Amino acid sequence: MSSTLNRKADIEAGLFFTLFGALTAGLSLQYQMGTVAAMGPGFFPFLLGVLLAVIGLIIFAKGLLARGEVVRTLPLWPAILITASLLVFAFLVLTAGLAAAVTAQVVVALRASEHFTWKRALALSAALLIFCYVVFVHFLGISVPMIAV
Amino acid sequence: MDLFHNLGIGFEAALSLNNLTFCFIGVLVGTAIGILPGLGPLATIAMLLPLTYSLEPVTGLIMIAGIYYGAQYGGSTTAILVNLPGESSAIVSCLDGHQMARKGRAGAALAIAALGSFFAGTVATMLIAAFSPTLAEVAFLFGPVEYFAMMVLGLTAATLLAHGSFIKGVAMVLTGLILGLVGADVNSGTYRFTFGSFSLTEGIEFVAVAMGLFAFTDIVTNIRGDSAREVTAPSLGNLWMSRDEAKQAALPIVRGTIIGSLLGLLPGGGAMISSFASYAMEKRLSRNPEEFGHGAVAGLAGPEAANNAGAQTSFIPMLTLGIPSNGVMALMIGALMVHNIAPGPFVMVSNPEIFWGLIASMWIGNAILVVLNLPLIPLWVRLIRVHYWILFPIILTVCCVGLYSIENRVLPIYFAAGFTLVGCLFWRMRAEAAPLLLGFILGPLMEEHFRRALLLSNGDVAIFYQSTLSVVMLSTAAIICAVVLLPQIRRGRSAAFVEEA
Repeated sequence: MSSTLNRKADIEAGLFFTLFGALTAGLSLQYQMGTVAAMGPGFFPFLLGVLLAVIGLIIFAKGLLARGEVVRTLPLWPAILITASLLVFAFLVLTAGLAAAVTAQVVVALRASEHFTWKRALALSAALLIFCYVVFVHFLGISVPMIAV
Repeated sequence: MDLFHNLGIGFEAALSLNNLTFCFIGVLVGTAIGILPGLGPLATIAMLLPLTYSLEPVTGLIMIAGIYYGAQYGGSTTAILVNLPGESSAIVSCLDGHQMARKGRAGAALAIAALGSFFAGTVATMLIAAFSPTLAEVAFLFGPVEYFAMMVLGLTAATLLAHGSFIKGVAMVLTGLILGLVGADVNSGTYRFTFGSFSLTEGIEFVAVAMGLFAFTDIVTNIRGDSAREVTAPSLGNLWMSRDEAKQAALPIVRGTIIGSLLGLLPGGGAMISSFASYAMEKRLSRNPEEFGHGAVAGLAGPEAANNAGAQTSFIPMLTLGIPSNGVMALMIGALMVHNIAPGPFVMVSNPEIFWGLIASMWIGNAILVVLNLPLIPLWVRLIRVHYWILFPIILTVCCVGLYSIENRVLPIYFAAGFTLVGCLFWRMRAEAAPLLLGFILGPLMEEHFRRALLLSNGDVAIFYQSTLSVVMLSTAAIICAVVLLPQIRRGRSAAFVEEA
């Protein structure tokens, strides 16, 4: 890497892995440890958690001391909208039916793109609904309500 | 001749009109669904599994197997054209296959993938037929110590794939191993990391993790580069590989077939490890490793051959030992159990038509794939011209319906949403997600064998140094680490000197 100043990627990754490892090790303590010969359910995850935390610290230290890769800038709105579109689908599919779930998902997800127009969103939803009905409901026989009461 | 006698039984079973029809249907459905990004063989098979229950055991297995490698082929097609792994072993095909497509060589990439897979499939089928009885005996030598050592080796090899630092890859493997442990502990029945939720007792849904980290994260990070996607459209005149490309592909295909056949045989191995290992090897062997990731022919041909060979030979541990080497094999075992056939070494003896019929059907299925798909390439290529804003909502919805269909519940979708955010975080931190997925699959198995090994030795860690096989595998893993880390340290040091100067 050509950059010598920005070290954020390794620092963030190191922190993440250290925290996740420590959390795992901490949570493992609530389960039985057992002995090396007869391990309880907590032993292996504790081991992994400690190992991960140590490696996380090494990555963190590497980020502090050496030059490292720069973090990539996350497109925040797409990340939120795509995730939201999944949640919307999951929430609506059984409560309102596939028709509403697909339409809502397409509208929310397409908002993340600069190509969003209502006409496109509705046309896409309609086409997708027909596709879902023919392939999934009709041919594959997935039991999902098109319109839930 | 045992070999020809066995193959005779196999082809007799596989060539019956009924079995041939279901092989064809399986391959066709598998390819069609495998083409759809994010809907891999696991979800497809899980969806279609109930339909096979009414079929004869051989027919059902032949159809599932057809879906499996059909979907794999379709997955590679998607990986090459759209840069989304249709399924996990196609992750590697994304790296160079899609770059080739971007350079206008999509047709050549697809042809290489198809012909490489067919070659590997043919060789793997011959290998299975010739050596499976012997290989089963070798696999019998594996105890928990060897299983554990083999998984360490497999994971180390996979971490080589990580674009970024090796150590971040190791951390990702560990993260995956931990996530794989969520759910009921096999030995004690304790529910671990379920946070009191009953729906977590069977672990986190694999498909949800895979879709979140790969398909959905990719959508998020690509949405703004919409225009960049549109220029990937290849010229339809170049559907076939040039002589130069064929020459570049030949040796990697042979090497990939060898690696795939060997790694696929090992329990816990299979298509994904094979393609990772082959990619790593081609990159090491290449005279211009800097081409990798930018459309190197060897980086596509090797893994494509390897994952097909691995997919085929990974049936061996399932059929001979009853051990699933991956999720698909676990589903196959489920299908066998429904018919009251307990998978194990005796299947080969008591139901030779199942064992050999399945193997023969794989070759037939691969032949169907080449015949069916090469002429259809213009159709697949046309897919790449679709605007991304049309494509990504389709991917999202198809994935969501697929996630829902696994168990007819919405929980996996919520998990996929969570893993999308985690995947975005990993993307930001430049941590490659592929090693995590592998750790996730191997987590529970690895723990089981680790615990069993130390139970056998009464807590003595030295047991890992007392088996030759284990020593060989563990030292290979250590050598891999050294080979990868040493140049990094050296480079780091020389760079540091430059800085000081």
